[in-house]
Parts: sequence; C-alpha cells; structure tokens
Amino acid sequence: MEGLFFNVNGGFVEGIVRGYRNSLLTGQNYSNLTQCETIDDVKLQLGPAYGDFLASLPPNPSTSALAGKMTDKLVSEFRYLVAQSVGSTAKFLEYLTYGYMIDNIALLITGTLHERDTRELLERCHPLGWFETLPVLCVATNIEELYNSVLIETPLAPYFKGSLSHHDLDELNIEIVRNTLYKNYLEDFYNFVQTHPDFSGPTQEIMSEILQFEADRRAINITLNSFGTELSKQERRKLYPEFGNLYPEGSLMLSRAEDVEGVALAVSAVSDYKSFFDAVGLSQGGGGLGGMGGGPADGKSLEDLFYQKEMEMSKFVFTRQFTPAVVYAWMKLKEQEIRNVTWISECIAQNQKERIGNFISVF
Amino acid sequence: MSGAVGREPVFPTRQSLGLMKSKLKGAETGHSLLKRKSEALTKRFREITRRIDEAKRKMGRVMQIAAFSLAEVSYAVGGDIGYQVQESAKQARFRVRAKQENVSGVFLPQFESYTQEGVNDFALTGLGKGGQQIQRCRETYARAVETLVELASLQTAFLILDEVIKVVNRRVNAIEHVIIPRTENTIKYINSELDELDREEFYRLKKVSGKKQRDNAAADAEILAARKKAEAEEAAGAVAAAEPEAAPEAADVLGEQEDNDVIF
Amino acid sequence: MASAATYKDRQLLAVIGDEDSVTGLLLAGIGHVTEGADAQRNFLVVDAKTETSQIEQAFQNFTQERKDIAVLLINQHIAERIRHSVDTFADPFPAVLEIPSKDHLYDPEKDSVLKRVRRLFGE
Repeated sequence: MEGLFFNVNGGFVEGIVRGYRNSLLTGQNYSNLTQCETIDDVKLQLGPAYGDFLASLPPNPSTSALAGKMTDKLVSEFRYLVAQSVGSTAKFLEYLTYGYMIDNIALLITGTLHERDTRELLERCHPLGWFETLPVLCVATNIEELYNSVLIETPLAPYFKGSLSHHDLDELNIEIVRNTLYKNYLEDFYNFVQTHPDFSGPTQEIMSEILQFEADRRAINITLNSFGTELSKQERRKLYPEFGNLYPEGSLMLSRAEDVEGVALAVSAVSDYKSFFDAVGLSQGGGGLGGMGGGPADGKSLEDLFYQKEMEMSKFVFTRQFTPAVVYAWMKLKEQEIRNVTWISECIAQNQKERIGNFISVF
Repeated sequence: MSGAVGREPVFPTRQSLGLMKSKLKGAETGHSLLKRKSEALTKRFREITRRIDEAKRKMGRVMQIAAFSLAEVSYAVGGDIGYQVQESAKQARFRVRAKQENVSGVFLPQFESYTQEGVNDFALTGLGKGGQQIQRCRETYARAVETLVELASLQTAFLILDEVIKVVNRRVNAIEHVIIPRTENTIKYINSELDELDREEFYRLKKVSGKKQRDNAAADAEILAARKKAEAEEAAGAVAAAEPEAAPEAADVLGEQEDNDVIF
Repeated sequence: MASAATYKDRQLLAVIGDEDSVTGLLLAGIGHVTEGADAQRNFLVVDAKTETSQIEQAFQNFTQERKDIAVLLINQHIAERIRHSVDTFADPFPAVLEIPSKDHLYDPEKDSVLKRVRRLFGE
C-alpha cells in the first residue's frame, strides 16, 4: 500500500541512491587497497569509484587531502539528491544534515568564545552542515549576541530552546552543549519519522530501529567516556536521548553506573549490547577504560563493534523499498567507507601494515 | 715552535726566575688537572652523544606510534578534533622541572616531566564518540612527550658540554702550547741572561784580580828594590869602611843601579 | 654558565608543528594559554598557508622572548623552512628539538644537533 504513491515523488531519489550504493567499495576492493604500497597506489585503486574527484590531488597526497576529496564526492552526490527530492523526502534529507550542523555550530561557538576570527572557521565547517545563515554566525562577536540574534535564525534553534541558555554556552563545556544539541536532534528526528504520515510503513520501522540504536550508542559512549571527568551523574543523565532500546530502565541504570561493570549491567537487558560487552571483555571488569589499550590486539574495540552493527543495519536497509531511509543508510555506509580508506592509507603512509585490516567492510 | 712564542717581559733577575719557576710548576699542575677534566667531560660527552643518537631514533618510532594513535582517533571520531583541541587548551598539564647534575664541576640541567594534577582540558572531548580512543591517544602522546623531554635534557647537556669542553680544551691547549713554552722560554732567557751576567762578573773579577796582581807585583818589586838599595847602601858603607878592595866592584853595580833608578 | 635563574622558571613545552602533531601534543597536555588580555599560546599550527615569516616570528618568540619555555618542539619539515635560524640558535635554553611529523619521516641527516654530533666525530 505504502509503495503505491511513493515513486511519484521519491522513486527517482531512491533509484539514484541504489545506484550510488553499487559504487561502494566491496571486500574485493578493500583487499586490493590493503595490498597497496603507497598512497598513489591507493589513489589508483580508488580511481573507478571516485574518478574525477581524485584527479586534482598531487602525487602522494596526504591522507587528510584524500579523505577531503572523498568527502567532496559524498557531498556533491548528496546535494544532487537534495536537489532532486521534494516534499517529505526533502524534509527527511534536511534532517540528515542537522547532525553536521551541530558540529559546525559547536565549532563556531568555540571560536566565538575564544574570540578567534570566525571567518577562518567557515572553511573548517563540514560542507553537509552548511546552511544559509551559517556565515551570519561569524558576525556575532560575543556569546549573548550569538545566542539572541543568530542562533535563533538557524534550523537548530528548536534544539537550543528550552535546554540551553546563553549563559550555558558561556559556562558549559562545548562538548556538553554539543551532546545536548545532539540529544535534542535525535529525539526530534525520531519524533519526525514516528509521526509523519508519509513515513508510516518501512521508513518508520527502519529509522526507528536505526535511531534507537544511535540513541543507545550515544548513551553508552557518554557514560563510558564520562568516567573520571567532572561530569556529574545528573548532568550526564540529561545527555541521554529519551528513547531507544535502553530507555527508560537501561538509561536509569546507566545514569547510576559508576564503572564499566555498571554500564555492562545496565545494557545487559539488550542482547546485542551484552554480546558487544562480552566480546571486548568489559563486563568481566578486567578491561576497564585503561584496558582498552590492549583491546585492538585481539580484535575490535567497543566502538568498532558499534560501527560494525551500524553498518550491518545500514546494509539491510537496502533490502527494503519505498523509503528515503536508504539515503540515510547510504550516507552512513559512505562515511564508513571514507573512514576505512583513510585508515588504510594512514596505515600505508605510516608503515603500520599489521593493523591495516582493522576496517569495517560489509559488502 | 717554542721559538715563536716569545717570552714574558720580565727583567732577568733571580727573583723573577723564582716567580717563573713557580709559574711553570703551577701551569703544569693546572694542565694535568684540566686535561683530566677534559677527559672526564669528553667521556661523558661521548656517552651523551651516543644516547642522543639512540634517543633520536627512538623518538622517530615513538612519534610514529603516537601519530598512528591519532589516526585511530580520527577514525573513531570520524572527524577532525584538531581545532577543538587547540581551543580547549588552557593550562599545561604536562610540565617539566629542571634539576642539576654535577659532572666534573659542570652543572648539567636535567629536565624532569611531571603532570599537574587536576588540570584536564580535554576530559570531555569525544564524549559522544571516540572518547576511549582519545584517552588512549593522550596516554600514547604523553609517553611520547616523556621521551622527547628526555631527549631535550640530553640535547641541552650536549650543548652545554660541547661548550664547556671547548673552553676546557682551549685552556688545555693554551697552557700546553703557549703558557708552558713561554714560561720555559722566559726561564731559559733569564737563565741565559743570568749566566751572561755571571760570566761578565767573572771576567770583571778576573780583570780586577789581574790588575791587582800586577799592582801587587809592582809594589813587591818596589819594596824589593828599596830593600836591595838599602842593603846595597848598607853594604857599600860597610865595604868602604872595612874592605876597600871590594869597593870598585861595588861601585860598578851602584853605578848601573843609579841609571835604572832614573828610569823608574 | 647554567645559572639557576635561567631555567628555574622554565616549565613549559612549546610546539611549532602541523595540525596533527600539535593536536597530539596538546592532547598529551602541553598546551598553555597565558591569562590576561594578551593571551599567548605556546603552540603554533603551521599549514600550507602559513608564511615563513610567521614561523620565524614564533620561533623567535619562543626562543628569545618567552622565559617560561624549557623545550621547543618543532616539526622537522618546518624547521627546514627556517633552517638558518634553527642552526644559528645554539643556546642551551630552551632546548630546540626537531621531531618527525606524520607525513614527514624523521631524517637524522637534517637535524641541526645531530649534524653537530656528526661533525664532532668526523663521521
């Protein structure tokens, strides 16, 4: 039923994305990449997939330049999709960019706080998080001005409203601001896919699952990373998105967790996460955060496992039809691909071949 | 070579000879002491140099590992944290303290790294994701910086020792090649001058004694002549009075003697 | 020659380097920004756009003007750009240390201190 009218507006975009998906690097490509001796070889191997975008790179480019060009391709493809989309799909795509906007705004707030020349910062902003009023942010010279006259104009204004005052921007650590915004964003996005009538059906199912996972991942990461810092439990709890598989009991337990075992206990209700914790040995308590140093030796860290899971979920999205969620999945896969290639070229550039296989490939 | 170094402007006196001799002795003692110091420092210096060489190579490896851990961070965070890190830096957590080490009278600074407790500018960096990698990266880099600090102390010690050894060697060489030969020259000069003086003195004394001898001889002759004359007169008086036959012979001698007397 | 006053106050490390090196070293906790209106940082990020004169100026600032820096770390490829200043700077404080960067492996041949080492031993 839901497929009846989807193609009228969203069919083209979905078709394009499926085409893009086919150009993602496969396991075969990756194994070729890992055999490379120099970055030039990597460039050559990437030729079929990235073509013109790599052409302007100098011989033996730095890994960051390479990653930059790959991101450029992602951006231009995404922009094409945005340009082709209408209605609810367009809105959906806009939501995808909010995550990047949050990063950009955090960057600019940091710059403003330290009275740096914010114009320089615009170059550092992620192109996907670009919105029309972003350059206006540079006009503001102090935080109050930034908050009252500029942030209000941005698409992110609702995320600021109610949870952050301009005093908070001044006093709170930028990371807390960023995570608060991200929490609000995730909740809003979740709400959007849950309630929008166009998305009832596959989109709602898929996106709910993905966003719940995302919310849980953030909650777990924030908890793990906040040990040993001045972040209090109350503050920490405010950063947990209020949905997801862990919400509300798991979140409550997370907010009370004092060490890694506490986290492992809190997530044990969800079998996936429990198996992650078991796999990295955190639930035994022998690991701990410091023990993570030895983690990659025997395989993957918790973050790697989360990425792995995310990639698998994204891959399965392509088994569904009539949904813009494939765009989300494609973006995540593409980003992971950029990270993978960066990792591989980094390993090659720095002669650390023994860990070159530490990337995540799902195709 | 020693001929070119000249000598000190002193009067060749016995007093300055004594001074020079003590100076030479002092210079020789100083030379052997400095030589020993220079040897001790050079030994240390070579050791440090070897360790610098090692440490520099080690640094290459350590920094590579550290750079790689940063690559892990950018993989986990999926973005650039550089700017944020730069902006959140406020108080140095990692500091160094200098202490001194005494090597043969040279104070070599030794940097010692320590971390200022309670200062942590990056505790919340990577809160959302990548925090564990960032934590690890921080530890890796902290270890790398420790190596760097160690290397920095070695390098500073190297520079100071280099300088000190140069100074000491310059002194050793100066003493060996300038001061000692010069003092020896001076002593030689004073000795030769003194010898010269001695010889002059000797000659003078000889001359004086020669003159004296001649004078003495003349005086002796005069006395002798006077005595003879007196004897002769006495004898003549006695002969004239008692033995007239001996008188003509005596008169001849007298006649001759009178001629001589005129000349005298 | 190494009187106590010259280095007792020297507690900080400074760095001139590319973005990655600086980020890493700052993560280790060497970053320090002086308080007050004329906040001075003890690090300089050098990228392709940075002028050599800027590097030069930072080098002079860290080595001559500031008295609280004990060790100056500088990426070797950046030291190459101001090689003359690095080579002429022979004071023991602050210790200038050339470090490798991610993209430029360490080359002992170029290091001004190691050059002196080699010269001394005639290798």
